[in-house]
Amino acid sequence: MSASEPPEEPPEIAFRRPACVEPPVDVVPGIVPVELILARTPQRAIGLSGIRAYPTGFGCTLHLRLREDIPGEQSNFGAFNMFDDGVDPAGEFADYYLRFGVGFADGRKATNLHQRHDFDEGPAPDPPTLWLVRWEGYDRLAWEVNVWIYGLPPPGALAFVCEWPARGIPESRVEIDAGLVLEAAARAAPVWPDQPPP
Amino acid sequence: MPAWSRGPVDMVPGVVPVALLVARTDTHAVLIDGLLVYPTGFDFDLAVRRHPGLGRHHHPDPDVWHELRLEVRFADGRRADNGPGPWPRPDDDRPPDPPLLYQSVIGPDGGHVWLWGLPPPGPLTFACQWPAERIPPSQVELDARLVLDAAARATTLWADQAPSP
Repeated sequence: MSASEPPEEPPEIAFRRPACVEPPVDVVPGIVPVELILARTPQRAIGLSGIRAYPTGFGCTLHLRLREDIPGEQSNFGAFNMFDDGVDPAGEFADYYLRFGVGFADGRKATNLHQRHDFDEGPAPDPPTLWLVRWEGYDRLAWEVNVWIYGLPPPGALAFVCEWPARGIPESRVEIDAGLVLEAAARAAPVWPDQPPP
Repeated sequence: MPAWSRGPVDMVPGVVPVALLVARTDTHAVLIDGLLVYPTGFDFDLAVRRHPGLGRHHHPDPDVWHELRLEVRFADGRRADNGPGPWPRPDDDRPPDPPLLYQSVIGPDGGHVWLWGLPPPGPLTFACQWPAERIPPSQVELDARLVLDAAARATTLWADQAPSP
C-alpha cells in the first residue's frame, strides 16, 4: 500500500454473543402468563413474572420488595450481590446474598451461585445455566431483576427456588408445569423468517 | 418517588401473554416485550434487535439513542410518547393526567418503559420510528382487554396494607 492510499476499513465482523448468556436477538419470545410469589414475610417478598420462552431457554423477572425501609440493612438490597460481591472472605456466601435458582424435573439445576463470567473463553457450558440480564432499582424498597436461563426444562415440574438468610427468608420453592414453558417456546417466532439458521 | 412514576412497590404485576413486533426492516426490529401490568399502569421493554448478520461496527452513536421515538395511543385518542417535553416535577403531589410515558433506560438496545395509566377497552397502539436507523413509522395494535385482564391479576403482597395509590 502506498502512502497516498487511504487506510483500509476494518472488516465487518458478524458479532453474536454466545447463546448461553442472553436470549437470541432474532426471535420474538412466547410468553408464559404466570405470576408467582416465591417468598413472603411480613416485611419482604420475592415475586416472579414475565417468563419469556425461546428455543434456547427462557427469561423471567424477579420482583424484590421491602415493605418499608429497615434501618441498618444493606443499602443495595442484595440485588447487586448476584454479581459475586456477596462472597465473604471465608469463601462462603454472605447471608445477605440472595440465592435464586431453577430446578428441572430430571434433577438438573441452575443458580446464581454458579455464574460464569468467561463466556468468551472455553466451550459453552452444559445447560441449564443462569445469567443476570438487567436490574433496575427504584429506591431501597423495590428492585426488578431480569435473569436468563440457558436451556429448556424437560416435561414435568419446573421449580423456582430462592433463599435470603439475612432477610429471614428460608429456602422457598414454587413449581409450575414445565409444559407451559415448552409450549411458549414453541410459539416463539423468528424475526427474520427468511434468514437461514446460524 | 411519586406513585405515578413507577408501579406500586407492594404488588407483583400481571402478565400480558404476548410480545409484539412493532417494526422490522432488513436490518432492525423493534419489539415490545415483558408487558407487566399494575392497577395504575404498565411497564415493558422496548427492545431494539439487530440482524445477527450485521457487523460489530453497526451500532448507533449515543447521540441517536434518544431518537428512537415511541408513542402509545389509547382507543379514546389519548396518547403518550418518549419525546422531549415537560416532565412533571417529581415532588409534585398532584398526579399528572394519564397517560404519561417514562423511559427509565435508554441505550443502543432500546430501553425500559413505564406508562402511567391504563387504557380503556379497544385497540391499544404502539408506534415507533427511528430515522437514524432507517426504521420508518411503524405500529402494532394490542387488544387493551389483555392489559386490563393482567391488571386484574396483579397481586397485593401484604393484604392488610392497602395497595399504593
